[in-house]
Amino acid sequence: MGTFLVFLAGMLFMAAIFFIKPRAKQKEIWKTVLNWVLFVVWYAITWMGISFIYINASVGHVKATSTAIFLFLGISVVLGFILARLLGFIKVKKVSDSATSQL
Amino acid sequence: MDNKEQKQTYKINRRGFLKVGAAATAMGVMGALKASTKVANAANETLNYVPGEKGQWSKLHPNPDYSGAAVRYVEHNDEWLGTTRIVGKIKNVSEADMGFNLAARGLLGEEAQKEVLRFVSKYPLSAALSKVLSAIAPDSAVEGKPAEKKLPIPDPEQMSKHIKDVAYFLRADEVGIGKMPPYAYYSHRATVGRDLMASLPVESWTVPVEERLPYVIVVMVDQHLETTLASTGYDGISSAQSFRGYHATGNIATILAQYIRNLGYNARAHHARNYAAVMPPVIIAAGLGELSRTGDSTIHPRLGFRHKVAAVTTDLPLVPDKPIDFGLQDFCRVCRKCAENCPAGAISFDDDYVEYNGYLRWNSDFRKCAVFRTTNKEGSSCGRCMKVCPWNSKEDSWFHLAGTWIGSRGEMSSQLLKSIDDMFGYGTETIEKYKWWLEWPELY
Ligand code: SF4
Ligand code: SF4
Repeated sequence: MGTFLVFLAGMLFMAAIFFIKPRAKQKEIWKTVLNWVLFVVWYAITWMGISFIYINASVGHVKATSTAIFLFLGISVVLGFILARLLGFIKVKKVSDSATSQL
Repeated sequence: MDNKEQKQTYKINRRGFLKVGAAATAMGVMGALKASTKVANAANETLNYVPGEKGQWSKLHPNPDYSGAAVRYVEHNDEWLGTTRIVGKIKNVSEADMGFNLAARGLLGEEAQKEVLRFVSKYPLSAALSKVLSAIAPDSAVEGKPAEKKLPIPDPEQMSKHIKDVAYFLRADEVGIGKMPPYAYYSHRATVGRDLMASLPVESWTVPVEERLPYVIVVMVDQHLETTLASTGYDGISSAQSFRGYHATGNIATILAQYIRNLGYNARAHHARNYAAVMPPVIIAAGLGELSRTGDSTIHPRLGFRHKVAAVTTDLPLVPDKPIDFGLQDFCRVCRKCAENCPAGAISFDDDYVEYNGYLRWNSDFRKCAVFRTTNKEGSSCGRCMKVCPWNSKEDSWFHLAGTWIGSRGEMSSQLLKSIDDMFGYGTETIEKYKWWLEWPELY
């Protein structure tokens, strides 16, 4: 199972790189770097969490498993959301100027 | 000396300690393991031995396994034994004054005196292990005359490596060789069973220990991780865990001592049923641990104190290893998990050491521990401190490796690791799926 997870992590890493490549490249170089750094951090934390949870659950550390689910997956979701927003997967509607001027 | 001054003297942080031992540390153990090539070649011709690389720990285990801990090799001299500071003359202690013998002599109360005779044997499995170990208890099993012909040992480094391989071959989990500290010998050892100790004057059943040999080989065996994870630390299996280690190490040490005598050199085995020496200082001398907050137990970077040891003192030409420093003094100062969990309140919460028999250690009370272990009504003996200690409460994994690395890097990182350990509930949990043994409360 452990070997399979490592294989899966590698495959998904490559797939994700190809998937976000067109959106990661920005006009400003620092934005491109930020996108890639955030992606690598998010990916590492997510898989660290999966591995931590998997090992603890298989040994039987109940509290460690449940705490890690909240901790690692919580961080993963927050980082994932920020990344998705930066890459343009999630768009936030702009409040129009006209709406403000009517007040 | 006022209290403040005293505290300053006794609080030795790791940085201060390292300054003192810096020269020795820089040399490292590799520097100590030097032998001339000519001599080594002569050894090969005589013994038909293919030598390992220079500085190799042993051929079966080329490197000692310290888990992820950052380990430094430190000095063994008149002022330090490993990371333990020597501040005066350490007196050799009598075996009559060790905890269980004090109980047997009636000095720890009536109940402890009665129960010390059955606290191991009341649990059927530990009774079995203890009985089998008793077969190698007589002096004739642990010591004897060496063979008349002394076989040549042209290369002590090679012999050290070989002795470690013999220990691993005999199923030791860890092995180390130390310079034997003379104060580690008992002044007197007991020659009668605990049932007779109260009725006879101490002088009639103790004999002086006169042996002084230069080296000590220490063998260490794990007390079993899964059992530790499933146990409360003071249920029925506790004494059987101890005797698993005592039995295994006792046999290894006895065979090793006999082997050395067959080579023509003096050797005496020391194990739980026949000691002539105290084990914590020899463990430290052999580079297998540091003294912990519990005051009497040492911690190994990989096994924590989930282990038992036996030893062989000898004059076989060997190259001793160096004591180790993996930051345990800083870790124990901030951790206190064993003190929080000790059912007998035997372990100190203090920040600083006290002076005890010429050296500095935490002010833990082995008498309270001996009383609890002998009179425990929920099981047989106790190892709760061992169970909860962050150094031995987890399986091998990348995060445990990372944890031991963090934990060995000073007080701040120790505080962090202790908080993480608590947050994840390690040590204090009992994992039922590994509970393989049977409990007989009616026997406790
Ligand atoms: S539980 Fe903590 S304080 Fe106690 S021996 Fe282990 S590391 Fe030291
Ligand atoms: S063995 Fe038990 S009683 Fe003794 S110090 Fe450890 S936790 Fe306390």
